[in-house]
Amino acid sequence: MRAIAWAGILTLVAHGLSAQDRPKRSGLWGEIAPGVGHVRLACSGCPDVETNNGVTSQFRIGGTITRRVLIGFETFSLTDNPLTVKNPGESSAETGTLAIIMMWYPGKTGLFFKGGVGAAFGDFIFFQSDSTQADTSEGGGMGLTFGMGWDWPISRKFAITANLATYVTALGDVVLPTRRVDDLIATMYQVSVGFTFR
Amino acid sequence: MAAPVLAVLAMLQFDSVPRPRPVMALAQTLLVNVFVNRVDAWVFNQDWAHAGPSDWGRNLRLGWEWDEDAFGTNMFAHPYHGGLYFNAGRANGLNYFESVPIAFFGSWTWENFGETYRPSLNDWVMTSFGGIALGEMFHRVAATIRDNRATGFDRTIREIGALPLDPMAGFNRLLRGQWKGLGPNPPEHDPGPYVLRVGGGLRFAEGWTTDSGTATMGAVIVDLLYGDPFTQEYRAPFDVFGLRLIVSGGGINVLRGSGRLYQTNLNSSSARFRHVLAVNQRYDYVKNPAQSVGGQSVEIGVNSRLRLGSKGYGLRTSLFGDFVILGAIDAPFTGLGERLYDFGPGVGARGEIALDRHGARFLRTFGQTEFIHSVSGASANHKVGFVGVELNVPIMKGFAIAGHSTLFRRRSTYTDGTPDDKRNYTEARLLLIWTQAGFGP
Repeated sequence: MRAIAWAGILTLVAHGLSAQDRPKRSGLWGEIAPGVGHVRLACSGCPDVETNNGVTSQFRIGGTITRRVLIGFETFSLTDNPLTVKNPGESSAETGTLAIIMMWYPGKTGLFFKGGVGAAFGDFIFFQSDSTQADTSEGGGMGLTFGMGWDWPISRKFAITANLATYVTALGDVVLPTRRVDDLIATMYQVSVGFTFR
Repeated sequence: MAAPVLAVLAMLQFDSVPRPRPVMALAQTLLVNVFVNRVDAWVFNQDWAHAGPSDWGRNLRLGWEWDEDAFGTNMFAHPYHGGLYFNAGRANGLNYFESVPIAFFGSWTWENFGETYRPSLNDWVMTSFGGIALGEMFHRVAATIRDNRATGFDRTIREIGALPLDPMAGFNRLLRGQWKGLGPNPPEHDPGPYVLRVGGGLRFAEGWTTDSGTATMGAVIVDLLYGDPFTQEYRAPFDVFGLRLIVSGGGINVLRGSGRLYQTNLNSSSARFRHVLAVNQRYDYVKNPAQSVGGQSVEIGVNSRLRLGSKGYGLRTSLFGDFVILGAIDAPFTGLGERLYDFGPGVGARGEIALDRHGARFLRTFGQTEFIHSVSGASANHKVGFVGVELNVPIMKGFAIAGHSTLFRRRSTYTDGTPDDKRNYTEARLLLIWTQAGFGP
């Protein structure tokens, strides 16, 4: 089964390489991309940062401004729950970003760069050190995203897309019954492979 | 260290035909950072400038935080600095969009490698977005001041006059021998329609500080309308923008600019009552004893103009909604450490109704409101708004007496139980205004 899957992927990539002269995203386009990520949580007055690994999901939809410049909306979320076993005193984060993005294809290849700005949301769980209980809080604020990627066309209408991106979210104060975390900033790094219709 | 880099850059400059030079733009951005860092370290002996590999590693590992710098530093000086990065791109043949990553790159490298402090997120946002807005406006104004066809003393004065606005272009032009060489002007040299107003007079303010009466002080105002949304189809970002500067009480009180990023007609361009949909990038800086507020925004809305008669009169309206990427506002109980204001994103709206002749407004009423949700500082939400009216009465050719009146209102609510805070203050200005306009009939 695994061999068939790999054969399928290789076929798609090979087909994509031969189809790179085809038009890239044009008109209405969309992309859905699951991936993995790394989150770094920092706050004012905190002596150190906390880092976790997680899984990410991303969805983009947009239109075309010029042949090389696209505009769209992007949603991104990361949760570090599934991949990380939490110990007392540690925290868990789920963050989301809704952004307006611009994508720029500098050449004739599928290489693109992305930048965007929007709103960010976060849910946080802090596991108490002296018990198995946890405090939860949520925050909202500003989100920035920057990244790059590559579209491999597999047909006139579809492409496989590799993404490498960073998301910086400023989420404000996280107030818990037992503690307060000031001016939280969550920085995420994401690697994903997406499926694009164009 | 800077000398060899400068020599290489100078040599590379002269191998060129006019074409985009992204590597040169990036190199000059790094040169700006090295120069500023070394001046701070060697001349001013600032501890924070003595950053080395251990600081760089720590900064990259720990990442972003919020800083405690003064309002003027974060909201004006840093955007001006960002304009140097952005204009390193513009001076090397890159267009607006191509220069945007240069601004982010310059600020990111400074934040991570230029200081011993951890990188500041508010600096990165303000320097980059503010640098893009101020940089493009200053780039265009400087290009208008310079004239590649001028000679002699006039030419030198123009080059020197443009230098504070766009030093990166001045530096590049000096290296390329363009301070004296004759040639065609770039398209930005001619804004098409424009209105420049420069004035001075008195400013009266109430409620600037607790229990104060009416404060009276001198004021200088500069208003620039570069281009016109109804006579020019959209060609490039900031081919139409408006900029207002007010200097009073020994410093910059107001610096606000808004330039169109995109525009499309909503009806026929020959209609008597025209409507255009516009997306603008906005920079706001307001600082006086009563309040400090500013930020980086993007706004979308509709500009309209109704032609009145055949002598160039018109009624203009604007209605825009905006998204504040990152704003800053002072209020009681706000701030972080030595910083006395909050940072946060927000939303807002503004509207305007004006009577104009050939684009020059002579009666204008306006209002604006903004909501800022603090993400650094107090746990607070801030609402700030103002309404005003401005009247220009001509007294002789090119000169007018102007009366301005503005009412500011603001309210801050705190989620930690701190009592709400409300503040109002009014301001009036009486000015002698000189107007230079380049609008056609």
